[in-house]
Amino acid sequence: MSINRFGQDAALIALDKFRTGKIDRRGFMTAMAGLGIAVAFKPGRASAAASEIVVCNWGGAALEAFQKAYGEPFKAKSGIEVVIDGAGPATGAIRAMVDSKNVTWDATDGGMTDAVVLGKGGYVVPIDYSIVDKSLVGEGLAAEFGICNYTYSNVLAYDAKKVGATAPSSWNDFFDLEKFPGKRTMCKWIQGQLEAVLLADGVKPEEIYPLDVDRAFKKLEPLLPNLIFWDSGAQSQQLFRDGEVVMGNIWHTRANLLRKENPNYTWTWNQNLMFASAWSVPKGNPAGKKVFDFINSSMDPEGQVTLLRIMGNGPSNPKALALMTDEDKAVYSLAPENAKTGLAISAQYYADNEAELQNKFLDFISR
Amino acid sequence: MTSFQRWAFCLTVPAALLTLCLYVLPILQVLALSFTEPTLGFGNYVALFQNAAIGRVVRTTVFVSAVTTVLTIVMSYAVAFALVHMPPATRRVALFMVMVPFWISVLVRAFAWITILRRNGVLNSALVGSGAVSEPLELVYNQFGVIVGMVHYMMPFAIMLLYANLSEIDLRIIQAARSLGARPVTIFFRVWVPLSMPGLAIAGLFIVIFSLGFLVTPAILGAGRVLMVAEYISVQISSTLRWGVATALSTMLLLVVAILVALAMRSPALRAAFEGGRK
Repeated sequence: MSINRFGQDAALIALDKFRTGKIDRRGFMTAMAGLGIAVAFKPGRASAAASEIVVCNWGGAALEAFQKAYGEPFKAKSGIEVVIDGAGPATGAIRAMVDSKNVTWDATDGGMTDAVVLGKGGYVVPIDYSIVDKSLVGEGLAAEFGICNYTYSNVLAYDAKKVGATAPSSWNDFFDLEKFPGKRTMCKWIQGQLEAVLLADGVKPEEIYPLDVDRAFKKLEPLLPNLIFWDSGAQSQQLFRDGEVVMGNIWHTRANLLRKENPNYTWTWNQNLMFASAWSVPKGNPAGKKVFDFINSSMDPEGQVTLLRIMGNGPSNPKALALMTDEDKAVYSLAPENAKTGLAISAQYYADNEAELQNKFLDFISR
Repeated sequence: MTSFQRWAFCLTVPAALLTLCLYVLPILQVLALSFTEPTLGFGNYVALFQNAAIGRVVRTTVFVSAVTTVLTIVMSYAVAFALVHMPPATRRVALFMVMVPFWISVLVRAFAWITILRRNGVLNSALVGSGAVSEPLELVYNQFGVIVGMVHYMMPFAIMLLYANLSEIDLRIIQAARSLGARPVTIFFRVWVPLSMPGLAIAGLFIVIFSLGFLVTPAILGAGRVLMVAEYISVQISSTLRWGVATALSTMLLLVVAILVALAMRSPALRAAFEGGRK
């Protein structure tokens, strides 16, 4: 997911919350002011001043959410202003910036896979673990070129009213057209799609990687006439609302919003597919090493729980669990009871194969 | 050159320079990537022709564009023909109706079509409710839906181009044909159609070029099931970082469009269209 579609999506969710009055106006206005400043940092303009950190995320209300969760606490501690630029740090954009030696971002919010890909291409610098405390994040969430800022999952969501007496409880049920007639939705973007197919086909979680693509396609082929592919989180939600699908492989944040609208929509955490998002630092970033102080500060559990409450993005710091209510835990993919049957998506595997696989997948579903 | 002409020429220089520096040069830089990325040479172009998946994307694009163009031209001609024959007051209202969708964002229109065409959408509900069909029809998330959306998008353009051309035809010619005993059908095919060739050619060319590079409508109404060139390029640029393949494909697309325009400009009809109707 080299365009961090999840990050973009989380931002949209938060914007919606602001519109419906679930986030206060003042915070939102602060973010807008921040955006005004951020606009001045478009490529080709002066780079960030020495006394600030420019963070690039996916825009919308994640501007304000990131400011609350990461920016304000950091400013309180260090006096350094954090500016959030919502331009969207697609790998293509970062590459263009570094290639033209015109880097305006200090930290970018991308997938863990992007961190590996960008690192391999020499577009980002290694995370300085002499400044960033590795032990603040859960196991496997700190990599050479990226450290996890939040987590999320793909889950099996369904419309309880349409699936009958027994609810689907595994990816196997996703393929069972006899027991659960009706259309399903999957994502057009490859990560977390074939894993679900292979789990349904009986592959053991520990043997999922490397993905057996041919086997997955063979399993998926008969289901194609009953599949609608979603492109954005908002669309995945709409397909349920419109009654177009009875179940789907969607982000847990969207499933959660659906459930808040209407309790008939719910999901199972069983066999959920766990993703890690990550901070990366573009090569030649304006603030230099200072950015690592910011990254270290963003691991504070309080800020991370704030983000969970605003947008549903789960903390990467295990200590955050102690600050959570039961309600918080119910939407947190790394809560022990939810992570028990979860499968961690392999960033390394996708770093090596995503481009190839994404093209194969698009070709396969459009035949 | 008279001094006035010199002045007039000088006034166009800034705009031309601006376009050259801020548009043409950057595009050339991007296109140059297709020969340098990831290694120097024609590798990307060879890959384009060897890759079965890209072949399928190109075939889909050509097919959808061709069908869109034919349908748009036929329907738009009917509308433009009717516009020419209306009393002025009615025509003003009709023209306004043509322009309304033209002013609505392409995104909004694509989503509106989803609402109409989806399984539980307006159209299927009406069809199932009236007993016309027993099962909802598959009208969207496939090529059919993409073509519907694209034709709808293109029609105002085609109608305006054709109407401009048809309204310039001297109606006395039609009267002359009638007085010589031609039947309405004969008049249509032997007088109207030949005289509207410049309009048909320019509208057709416009729609083909537009369709080949269409991004938003196929992406939304096709929902992954209809993959066209523009979307493929956009995925390679921002997601898979295969800039070499993306720029090679863009170069090919640009070349195809240039060749189409060059071929079209050889036809007298189109030259007439570009040079204006009055001699």
